[in-house]
Amino acid sequence: MNAYITSTGAFLPGPAITNDEMEGILGLVAGKPSRLKARILKANGILTRHYAIDRAHRTTHSNLDMAVAAANNCLDGSPVPARSIGLLSCATTQGDMVIPGFGSMVQAGLGIPGAELFTAHGICSSSAMAVKVAVNSLKLGEHRAALVVVSELASRLFKNTRYEAAGGEDAIDFNSEFLRWMLSDGAGAVLIEGAPRGRCLRVDWMRGFSHANALPVCMGIGAPTDATDKRTWQDFATYAEAEAAGALLIRQDVRLLEHIVKLGVDGALRLIEEGTLDVSGIDHLLCHYSSHHFRGKIADMLDMAGAGIPQEKWYTNLYTRGNTGAASILIMLDEFMREVRPAPGAKILCMVPESGRFNTAYMQLTVVEE
Amino acid sequence: MSAVEIARPESLTELGQETLRRLMREWFNFERRLSAVPIVRRLDLGTFSREDYRNLLLNLRPQVVEGSRWISRCASSFDRDHADIRSIVLGHAHDEHRDYEVLERDYVALGGDLATIRARAKNPGSEALHAFLMFKSGEPNPGALLGAMWIIEGLGEKMATNWAERIESLTGCGPECTRFLRYHGGNDDAHMNKLYALVDRICTTGSRADDVVMTARVVGRMYAWQLEEIDEP
Repeated sequence: MNAYITSTGAFLPGPAITNDEMEGILGLVAGKPSRLKARILKANGILTRHYAIDRAHRTTHSNLDMAVAAANNCLDGSPVPARSIGLLSCATTQGDMVIPGFGSMVQAGLGIPGAELFTAHGICSSSAMAVKVAVNSLKLGEHRAALVVVSELASRLFKNTRYEAAGGEDAIDFNSEFLRWMLSDGAGAVLIEGAPRGRCLRVDWMRGFSHANALPVCMGIGAPTDATDKRTWQDFATYAEAEAAGALLIRQDVRLLEHIVKLGVDGALRLIEEGTLDVSGIDHLLCHYSSHHFRGKIADMLDMAGAGIPQEKWYTNLYTRGNTGAASILIMLDEFMREVRPAPGAKILCMVPESGRFNTAYMQLTVVEE
Repeated sequence: MSAVEIARPESLTELGQETLRRLMREWFNFERRLSAVPIVRRLDLGTFSREDYRNLLLNLRPQVVEGSRWISRCASSFDRDHADIRSIVLGHAHDEHRDYEVLERDYVALGGDLATIRARAKNPGSEALHAFLMFKSGEPNPGALLGAMWIIEGLGEKMATNWAERIESLTGCGPECTRFLRYHGGNDDAHMNKLYALVDRICTTGSRADDVVMTARVVGRMYAWQLEEIDEP
């Protein structure tokens, strides 16, 4: 049995927001403009993104709203009706509700009756987990159609009031501000079926390699600002105390980020070694990480080792659609399919490196025509 | 850097490419193993202390002092058909044979006593690492030590670019205490060109390539063991 991505969809809330407009929406922390913003934006290269909150910090689209919009956009491109979806597989970093699982809310939003449900818990790579569950289920013949929906609403974490509640300027350092100028909102969806339909994408294989055993947390929410305080957010007497201690801020340990590139390369080399991946046959690389991080010495070594993928084969929309966490790879795949319209036979490698505690996922797709 | 400049090859043979891929994976494996070593984990988490740094230098010195011995021995084990490799290794031995003095000066700048660091014996990991390197370097034409060079030079670069500044900021010590760590950071392009050239020169058969990769693996494990011993009572 095989699995085929027969339709893709995406949703980005509101207008494209430029770098100059960002702080007007997210707000000035303690009334002062950020001193790190320009440096962080220069490093990530993002030019525009979308937010599901407005200047008054009202939520214009909930995470659920965006998920439903992306799912409908995906289903609009397919004759498969929502009611015949056997498996609904979802992922998000943070749902609107803490519980129940995001998938339950999305199912209700879409009105799919009696579907089997899966919700992946994690950060960027949770999208790959959700896709893999769908692919495996189709390969087992358990369902004929599975819908994968991944949505992210990060901007609510970045309101100036969040930082002020955690101590204002004192709470802000490079690690706690890094993601404020990196992450934004959006949703993506794919319909996966057990048989090909029209021009579609066969899922050749999916693999992931996690290294949480070897490395510390690199991106997370839940630990207080004081690194020697080993409590996590729910250990505090009240949520207000947890917030005041900085335990609800999202942080990136920027010093550890270099591992992301190395582990991304390591996983690809492992797939080459075991014969799963042949980079010379890859026509397009979609990577949920800015390609400029893969340049320099490591790219030179990969080229010398016959494992490099030339820059012209890299496709990304991170610079214009923003980094939407788990949703990025599906938003990228959707725009890629609409814009590039790859020909039958083309091979696409998707790569999702997650810095949370270092998980990297890979997926190879081949364009087929029914 | 070695006295002999080595040109970067245009490209590697198929076996050379495969060996380079395997060596990259050995390096990434070694780095992960290293990240889990307690003293390195403290460096990552920001709880690394001045005492940690003193202990690190105390535990590194015996192996650094002995480093010039196995490199010299390695050079003398190459026969006339491998004179080109011998020249490279000799240059290397000359560059490194007194760098333990830099390490000692760092220790003293840190407030340590010179007699203490000189009297410090090898820890069990250093003992094993040294014994293995001396054994391998006594073999005829010990090209497998390219694997050792891969790990040890990679670590030298990591210490220079990643550890030195971090240690300064966590312990409050100045650059006069981190000269050894920074010592191996320069000349990166020349290092890489030398490495690429040696991969093709040494890995002419599958079994030679296997030997290089295995040597890298053993050296990586023993190096990590050496650093683990710092936290052993």
